[in-house]
Amino acid sequence: MRNLFIIIGREYRTRVRRRAFIISTLLGPVLMVGFIALMVFFTQSTETDAKVLVVDHHELISVEFDSNKMVPSCPDCFPERNFLEYRFASEALSTEEFLASDYTLMVEFDDGILQSAKALLQYETAAPMRVKAAIIRDLTEAIERLRVKKESSLDYDTYKRLKVQIGLVTQDIITQDKNAENRSLVGWVFSMFMFMFIMIYGMHVMRGVIEEKSNRIVEVIVSIVKPETLMTAKIAGIGLVGLTQILVWSILSWILFFIFGAYAESSGMLADIMANQGVEVGATDLKTFMSSHEDLDVLLQINWVAMIGWGVFFYIGGFVLYGSLFAAVGASVEQESDAQYLLLPVMMPLLFSYMLNIKILESPESTLATVCSFVPFTSPITIMVRLSMGVPWWHVVISAIILLITVYFMLKLAGRIYRTGIFMYGKKPTFREIAKWITFRNK
Amino acid sequence: MTINTPSALSLVDVRKQYGDHTALGGVSLEVPVGSIFGLLGPNGAGKTTLIRMVSGITAPDSGLVSFFGAAFKEEDIKEIGYLPEERGLYKNMRVGEQAMYFAQLRGMSKSEASKALKGWFERLEVDGWWDREVADLSKGMAQKIQFIVSVLHEPKLLILDEPLSGFDPINAEIIRREINRLRDECGTTVLLSTHDMSSVDELCDHVALINHGEKILDGEVSFLRERARAGKVDFRFRGNLIAFTASLGASAILHSAKSDGNGAHDLVLGIPSDIPIEKFIKWSSSEVDVLSCSPKVISMDEVFLKAVRTTSLNPSIS
Repeated sequence: MRNLFIIIGREYRTRVRRRAFIISTLLGPVLMVGFIALMVFFTQSTETDAKVLVVDHHELISVEFDSNKMVPSCPDCFPERNFLEYRFASEALSTEEFLASDYTLMVEFDDGILQSAKALLQYETAAPMRVKAAIIRDLTEAIERLRVKKESSLDYDTYKRLKVQIGLVTQDIITQDKNAENRSLVGWVFSMFMFMFIMIYGMHVMRGVIEEKSNRIVEVIVSIVKPETLMTAKIAGIGLVGLTQILVWSILSWILFFIFGAYAESSGMLADIMANQGVEVGATDLKTFMSSHEDLDVLLQINWVAMIGWGVFFYIGGFVLYGSLFAAVGASVEQESDAQYLLLPVMMPLLFSYMLNIKILESPESTLATVCSFVPFTSPITIMVRLSMGVPWWHVVISAIILLITVYFMLKLAGRIYRTGIFMYGKKPTFREIAKWITFRNK
Repeated sequence: MTINTPSALSLVDVRKQYGDHTALGGVSLEVPVGSIFGLLGPNGAGKTTLIRMVSGITAPDSGLVSFFGAAFKEEDIKEIGYLPEERGLYKNMRVGEQAMYFAQLRGMSKSEASKALKGWFERLEVDGWWDREVADLSKGMAQKIQFIVSVLHEPKLLILDEPLSGFDPINAEIIRREINRLRDECGTTVLLSTHDMSSVDELCDHVALINHGEKILDGEVSFLRERARAGKVDFRFRGNLIAFTASLGASAILHSAKSDGNGAHDLVLGIPSDIPIEKFIKWSSSEVDVLSCSPKVISMDEVFLKAVRTTSLNPSIS
């Protein structure tokens, strides 16, 4: 037992003091925030301003002003935007003319639009989302105005006042829980980190085992401790390194978040945004701001204690499960490049559960989601999405128990492969040979 | 060695099978307390398997391994020091830190370990390397650290697998000195596996030879030499070679003869065990001018070559 801790200590210490670890741990959240900011910055700055030619064949929403120049019959429908400029015409440009012109987009429709509510958008370079959204909004208003005028005796403002758009507030009838699916995105982020950490630190386990095997230290160590102890200690030590990084990242993220919040509150940025959006609230603190936005309100609704608590539990379980497999793979080869063919079956379930997440996000109550949250090879990743949306507590408990039992047997199984594998040099073993090692009597 | 003192290590009919391959086919050994016991044999003879068994890495399929008279227990691991043939160190650790790690695994406290390490670092002339990265060490330097790590906790039984390979002559001498010192000062029993016969000649007092998983020879080095000598003497004289050899009759067997051209002749003679050498010298002095007569020196090389040849010609001898 004493030796177990000595080995864990070595595995942990030699890793956390590496420069790469310190840098990635401290800079991780900063880099991530920076990366997102950079992405937003670039997508906005690289978008060229759109110049749109609206081809209104039947002059539904535009009129001829003086000779050949068309203007919208309802100028208010096409407000000025800094990224979007409209011109109107009744004849479409030919492809050559369009390419030669300085128009970036051409929207074309005839009186069929009144029934179909469809217009054709032609482009040379696809339009950014917000340009399309603006065109849809503007055209909709123009066509609506036309139809209201043509087909009713109402004026447009009355129509607009009468018009309703229903939104659905979803609620679980048992838990009274509202808008759970919005929170699944948070669960998805958790499961993404789960995948990332199991993968990265699982590879660390494999490399550590290969290092010990290829420079033969393993022989001295297993003359002192049981091979299974060495393997378990290695997995535990490296798992703790991962946990340390998760912990530091969480704390740093909170700190960054609150610094940002405090800055936004004190600088009046929040007040500005809220005023711009016409949100009328008494206070302009971060919490009020967040709860007034549906997508930010989600962050307040999440049960962070349960998410983090269970997250840590499933990380430990999932990591030990996959870590022992990575250790068995490492013990079977002498260098990392030989490990590819053995890694494939180990990584498959991990990748599978990661990709499955998209399906589970769509229908979190499906049989697939339920099954995957019980299968130990997928549960650490799947359960995070389900946890974020609310899941019967006994599902989580059963999943946890299944995981623990599997981890126990997997450690035994991997230990058997490990203790034989670390003394096998020479040719690469086949799957059949590795299966045979499980039955070898070494001790 | 008497029957009453238990051996440091005793193996009784130990067998180990790996799949279809018989690594050890029933080996029995007694390693006397305080001896430097050479375990010899060609590559693939089963030495490493035997050593792994003794160092607790693997267990025999059948047979008994006992340690100072009692069956091998897990606690005994603390009393064993093991230096494997293929050995390495963690590259991303410092020398001192790494030595401390192994010392602690062997059950030493930090203060014990650092005290003992200091002494060893001085004796093996590696002080000053404590804070260096292992990656900076030369091969010989790394070997020294590995040696220190295996003996630091003053084990009762020290298992060394090819301890001198990779050392230059100067450092090999230091290691040899330390092995002898451990035996003499600490009473350490040393089990030394090698196929380098010169180190056997210089270090070992007992040996066992294994080949194809079987023990084919064991005993005290002096006894084995004597036996291999089989009464042979080197005899140098001046006189008539033909007349002398004719006069030998039944008192000695002529194995070989060589003349140096100046009238001196070198013979290898076999003298029956019931005739003392002194008596033979006395007799021969009356016949010729005896220049020298001494028991033939047989190297362990010859002892083992002979033993291996005998067993491969006649496999029933073991």
